[in-house]
Amino acid sequence: GLVQSCGHIIPESPVLALGSNFTALCILNESCLDFGNIYASQIIWKIKNKLVPKEQYREINRTVSSVTFNDTSSLATPLTCNILADGQIEQNIYGITVTVGLPPEKPKNLSCIVHQVSRFTYVMTCTWNPGRHTFLDTQFRLRYSWPEEDFPDCIPKDVNNSCTIADIQFFVNTEIWVEATNALGKAESDHLVIDPVDIVKPLSPQNVSITSGFLPTVLQLCWENWISSAVMALKFNIRYRIAGDTNWMEVPLEDTASPRTSFSVQGLRPYTEYVFSIRCMKEDGQGYWSDWSEEKTGITVED
Amino acid sequence: LGAGQSIQQTYDLTRYLEHQLRTLAGTYLNYLGPPFNEPDFNPPRLARAERVPSATVDLDLWRGLTDNARLAANYRAYSRLLCYLRVLDEQVGTAELRHRLAHFCASLQGLVLSIGGVMSSLGYPLPAGPAGTPAPPGAPAAPNDFLKKMDDFWLLKELQTWLWRSAKDFNRLKKKVPPAVVTLRLEARGF
Repeated sequence: GLVQSCGHIIPESPVLALGSNFTALCILNESCLDFGNIYASQIIWKIKNKLVPKEQYREINRTVSSVTFNDTSSLATPLTCNILADGQIEQNIYGITVTVGLPPEKPKNLSCIVHQVSRFTYVMTCTWNPGRHTFLDTQFRLRYSWPEEDFPDCIPKDVNNSCTIADIQFFVNTEIWVEATNALGKAESDHLVIDPVDIVKPLSPQNVSITSGFLPTVLQLCWENWISSAVMALKFNIRYRIAGDTNWMEVPLEDTASPRTSFSVQGLRPYTEYVFSIRCMKEDGQGYWSDWSEEKTGITVED
Repeated sequence: LGAGQSIQQTYDLTRYLEHQLRTLAGTYLNYLGPPFNEPDFNPPRLARAERVPSATVDLDLWRGLTDNARLAANYRAYSRLLCYLRVLDEQVGTAELRHRLAHFCASLQGLVLSIGGVMSSLGYPLPAGPAGTPAPPGAPAAPNDFLKKMDDFWLLKELQTWLWRSAKDFNRLKKKVPPAVVTLRLEARGF
């Protein structure tokens, strides 16, 4: 039998687009021709040990045979080049792995939100639609920049449709986009240009407390805002219900549409326990409502 | 962005920087330790401190400047202050402080860009040299640790004063430039 490598296939480890056509060449070493008494005409091609129909072969010359696939969908790994040597013993000359897939689609629906995670810390999470499955190792990276200033890319971990940027700057218009890259190409999402301060979801009002006053129909709410006025002015949404009841009532939004840390809810029933909850967002309506605050209860005084 | 929006955004950023610097300076001066973190520490301004753009100006002179000249002065000052701050950022020993300084530097870089944006939206040329990168003049390194800390002290002090005055500059400019009006180069026409 043959003891040395008698040839090789080009291309070596191709990555091919699904549905495209592909031609490989098996090239025999001259040294083997003399010694092994083998010729390109004796080459047989196999996919995963399954014979490729001979109509797809072509003998280029004494040492080179080609095989062509009109649609790579039928291709699999490995693709091997073999010789049916004298005495009908089939010998393997060479084999390659073939990877078939798709170039990345343009990532769509890029959307970002800045979460306030503590008093002074904000992170921006962007999500997007990564597009069809590519069957290939495809890298996504979230990119953002200012004119004349690039920032380190955000590389998603374990997912391909979101990334969180830990250090975000306010009051500077930031260009944000997603890039998808694999062996077959690169695609880029539409670019967002936003001021991150306009997409903030603030922390909900903290340390809510309820105080009953002199009037039996009034309860005063107090709370702390954990977002600095240097970042944004806030407006509020207050809801309340009678303890044990499930229907929430809301203070008209226009009554709490400006910065504050307290509010007196009027028109309540005397000597009744009420449950309150508050949320906040940027005063000009840009961005997102915070989550509702912790519920707190208070009782109106007797009439 | 229109000129009005650009100025509003720059004003908001200046106030945000003031807010950040209030807590950051306190933390940094504590890092420097006494006497720098003592409330009544008010040293004379040494010749060395001249390297840092002084925020002390004759207010009448300052107000008498054209908008273009005043914006350019702000632009140059913050570009140079940013350089010094970046040097500070590299030497700080604690990770938390380094992170906050780096965040502040990025914000300050944003301010330089924003001022540049305001100038462009008003049709003014930018001062020569790319934003935020002119190397600090070749002042000799502080000969000892105390003078090094004094340099840092004056850098933060001047920065606070610059930000305080810039907020007023942009607030005044904001009122002069209505939000949605296409800005004409009034100075150029001698109005």
